[in-house]
Order: sequence, then C-alpha cells, then structure tokens
Amino acid sequence: MLIDPMIEISHLSVTLGGKRRVDDLSMTVQRGSFHGLLGPNGAGKTTVLRTLYRAQNPDTGDVYINGTAIDAWAQADWTRTVGALVQEGGSLQGLTIRDVVDIGLMHLPLSPAARAACANDALALAGLTELTDMEAALVSGGERQRTHIAQVLARDPDLYILDEPSNHLDLCYQILLLDEIRRRGKTVIATFHDLSLAARYCDTVTLMRDGKGVATGTPDAVLTRDNLRDVFRVNGVLQDGALHIEGAIRV
Amino acid sequence: MGRPHVLTYVALTLLATAILAGVFFGTAEVSWADRWAALSGAADAPRSLSLIIWEWRLPRVLVVAVVGGSLALAGVMMQTVLHNPLADPYLMGLSSGASAAAVGAILWLPPWVASTLGIPLIAFAGAVCAFAMTLGLSLRRGAIMSPLVVILAGVAVSLMFQSLTAFFLYVGDPHATRSALGWLMGTAAGTAWVDLWLPLFALVAVSGFALLRSQSLDAVLLGDERAMALGIRVRRLRLVVFAAVALLAGLSVATVGIVGFVGLIVPHMARLLVGGRHRALIPLSLVLGALVLVVVDLLCRVILAPEELPLGVLLAIFAAPPFILILRRVRHAY
Repeated sequence: MLIDPMIEISHLSVTLGGKRRVDDLSMTVQRGSFHGLLGPNGAGKTTVLRTLYRAQNPDTGDVYINGTAIDAWAQADWTRTVGALVQEGGSLQGLTIRDVVDIGLMHLPLSPAARAACANDALALAGLTELTDMEAALVSGGERQRTHIAQVLARDPDLYILDEPSNHLDLCYQILLLDEIRRRGKTVIATFHDLSLAARYCDTVTLMRDGKGVATGTPDAVLTRDNLRDVFRVNGVLQDGALHIEGAIRV
Repeated sequence: MGRPHVLTYVALTLLATAILAGVFFGTAEVSWADRWAALSGAADAPRSLSLIIWEWRLPRVLVVAVVGGSLALAGVMMQTVLHNPLADPYLMGLSSGASAAAVGAILWLPPWVASTLGIPLIAFAGAVCAFAMTLGLSLRRGAIMSPLVVILAGVAVSLMFQSLTAFFLYVGDPHATRSALGWLMGTAAGTAWVDLWLPLFALVAVSGFALLRSQSLDAVLLGDERAMALGIRVRRLRLVVFAAVALLAGLSVATVGIVGFVGLIVPHMARLLVGGRHRALIPLSLVLGALVLVVVDLLCRVILAPEELPLGVLLAIFAAPPFILILRRVRHAY
C-alpha cells in the first residue's frame, strides 16, 4: 500500500468495439514518481490513459486522481492538476504553434504577461522559438509532437499523462524533453514502446498484456528475461539500464 | 491595436458603407438631395421615397446583413466542432428540410393554410425536423458523437429531403413551381421590419455564447481528446453548437430562402486573414458574412433592374474572386 498515491485505479474494466481492452486492472502510482505503462500493441495501455484523462468511460471500476474520483473534478481544478499528451490529433485549422501552446493555458489564473512568458519558456525548451508563427498543421510530425509536449510543459500540471511521448522525436529531443519532465519532479504516467527509455526514466512500471496487469515494480524487477519472452515475445535482458535484445521468437 | 482588430474595423467600415449603398441605390430614379433628406427624416423629403427607404430598403438591407452574419457564424462553429473545412450551416439537412417543407406548402397545401402559417414558419419547421432527424441518427448513449457519423447522417437526411423536393417540383403545377424555384434560390424581396427582430435576437444571443466559449472552441480545434484532456465537455459543447446552428440557419432559411456559399467560404476568408482563434475569428466572420450578402443583394437588385435576381444566382459569382485573391496572397507567405 502506497502512503501518498496520486493515481488509484481499482478493478478497472473497459470494453471497446465489443473487445475487452482493460480487464480488472488495479494499480496505484506514488505522488512524484515517474511510472511507465509497458506492453505489446493492444495491451490496453492507451485505454488506461484515455480513462485517466476522461476520454473513455469505464465499464466498471474506480479511478481516483489525487484522492478525487475523475468524474467529480471541477474544470478549473482539473486544468491546474492534470495535463495530457494525447495521440489523436485535431484539424488545427488556422492555428500557429504559439496558439496551440497558448490554448493549453486557458482557465489558468495567469495575467496576459505571465501567460505569454509561460508559453515562451515552453516553446524555447522544445526548440520551437523560431517556428512560433508557423501554421501548426504545416510542420513536421516531430515538430508537432514537440508543440504538444510544449503545451503540457507550459501548464506544468501536478500530473503528467503522456501517451508515447517519444513518438516522432529524434534522439536529442527524446532525451532533452523527458529529462526536463523528470527534472520537474511531478507525478508522471507514460506509455513507452522503447523499453530502454522506460528503464532510463521510470521509477516504477506496470507491464500489461491483453488488458491485464502482469507485473508491477521497478524496471529491473519487471523487465526480466521471462517477462520479455512471455509478454513481448523476444529473447533479451535488461542490463545496467539498457536492453540487450537477442532476437524475436518466431510465432 | 492588433491586426485582427484593424481588419475587423476595416470590415465594419465597409459594411456600414455597403448598408448605406444598399439603402441609397435601387430601381427608383431619385436625386441625391432627396435620398439624404429621406434618410435623415427631413420634413421636405418626398413621401414616396421615405416609404421606399424606411419601409422597404432599410429593413431589407438589415435583414440581409443579419442573415449573412448568422450564416458565417454558424459556418465557423460547424467547421470547428466537426473538424471539417467543408462543413457548412446546412450540413445537418437544414436547407433540404426547409426546402421540402416550403416547396410542399407552396405546391400542395391549400392557400389558406400557407397564408395562415406563413411559408417562413413552415420552412423553419422543416429545417428543425431535418435537424432532429440528423441528431437522432447521430446520438449514441455515452459516446462522444463522432463528427463523421454526424456528417454522414446529415448527408442521408439531406438526400432524402432533396428527393422529396424534386418529387414535389416534378409533379407540381408549373405556375406554382416557378414560385417555389424562386424561393429555393433565395431572395430578400419583400422583407420588412417584422422579419428582422427574431433573426437579430438569435444572432446576438449566439454570438454572445460563441464569444464566451471561444476558448473552448479553440481547444476543440486541437482534437476531441485533447479538448477533453483540457477539461472541455466536448459532447455537451457539440450539442449546444448544433442547436445554435439550427436556430441561426433555420431562421435564415425561413427569412430569405436558401443562401449558400456564405456559411462555407466566409469562415475560410476570415481564418486566412486572422487565423483560427475564435475571439478574433468570430467577429470578423460575422462582419464579412454580413458585408458579402449586403453587397450581393444590392447587385441582385440593380444589375437587371427593374427585374430582381435571386441571391443564390449572383452570390458565388461575385464572392468567389475576393476569396481566391485572399487565398493566393496568404499562401504566398508559406
């Protein structure tokens, strides 16, 4: 039992399109820790995050953030507390990169000057200062991902919910931006496909398969040779924070 | 003062000029002194001219401005909440429903029914009926209401009512059919002060709502899930926007018939000039929509005077070139 949990999920089940995507999952995330959700495609990682940021209603189960049920949050408190990096994208019609970051600051009690300063700092961190007036729909996939990460950084919420934050990013920005998020010391729950990145940044991880939690603990304890073989169908081992792959198992 | 403010004030000045032109110019041959005297309510103004300006032209021009603004505002909101640049105020079958009801009433109902209820009320009822059908087909308990499902449901309902309209026109009496066709192409002829108040009230109320929720509309541009992650209740916002659009477009269709182009293209004109943030986009779209329709209505009155052309005939011809010019200039920046 954790002393100060930021996220508490209890017996969560979610069905999508007739398929059970999350099946009786229970987990907790300690305040201030960096928690990774790991698993193969279709394991239910994104569905758990979508439930956390209220884009998906659960069939059954309870989800609490900071001690409050997720459907009981007032909008202003929610905006201050929760920030999410989401995979799905909108049309971004007519929006510049600065607009996208600035929209994330709505409902925060900031003066116009403070709001502009927050946006400028985050844009600089994400290496977007030169591109602020570009149309967001016209930049590369990596630049757009950095824009959305900059939006979350500008808000600096108490809880970062990050769905595949390293998607589209080159190696430099993967390290730069995840280092920055880690440095801030807030609670983070993130999905990763790159297990080396997960091992580098996560204090704890939950391994999922077919919607169920298979194991939870430190990366060293969870990413064992047996779990890599049984869940990811690869032979390999985690050594000194780096994943050594010996090959995929033929199916 | 920022660029959006400057452009909105320029557009407002042009709109005021266009409204004055719409009041001054028409088929009647009169001197400028008489026109000013009639407009300022001078005692020596010719009585017939005062009647033309105060009872015919001024309400007509104002109704047209309100309809243009309403359709542009409805277009902005539809394009935003449906994430679709081709969305327009009629997408939920409003114009098709109104057409079928109005044409059916003109061709088939006993004259006393049509005259008692009035074609505008019948058209509005048809628009609301089509809107309710599209909404009913799109809603699914607990789901967010997918834009794609709304668009497909709107297309299905539109096609159904278009077929009904075509059937009415095909089998209807040829003399009555001409009258129905005139209504279908849109005209502001014969509008009076009484036609102004309801659309004006709806426009003021909806633009107030849209400006109050401009940040939520901005968030929806990022995508439904990103907006939800920011705390926006997207399903509720989408439902309120659909109801607001049904009110604006339904009243517009009921007042002047079907006027295309404005709700689709004017939001893009404004977006190219001031970007996608709704606090700037909504006022400029509204003013540009009013401006485009007032100018086109004036042209409809004077080009073949004393004959009058339907709005729909001239709208695309005269409003498309400025849009293409803006599009080319803005695209050169990239």
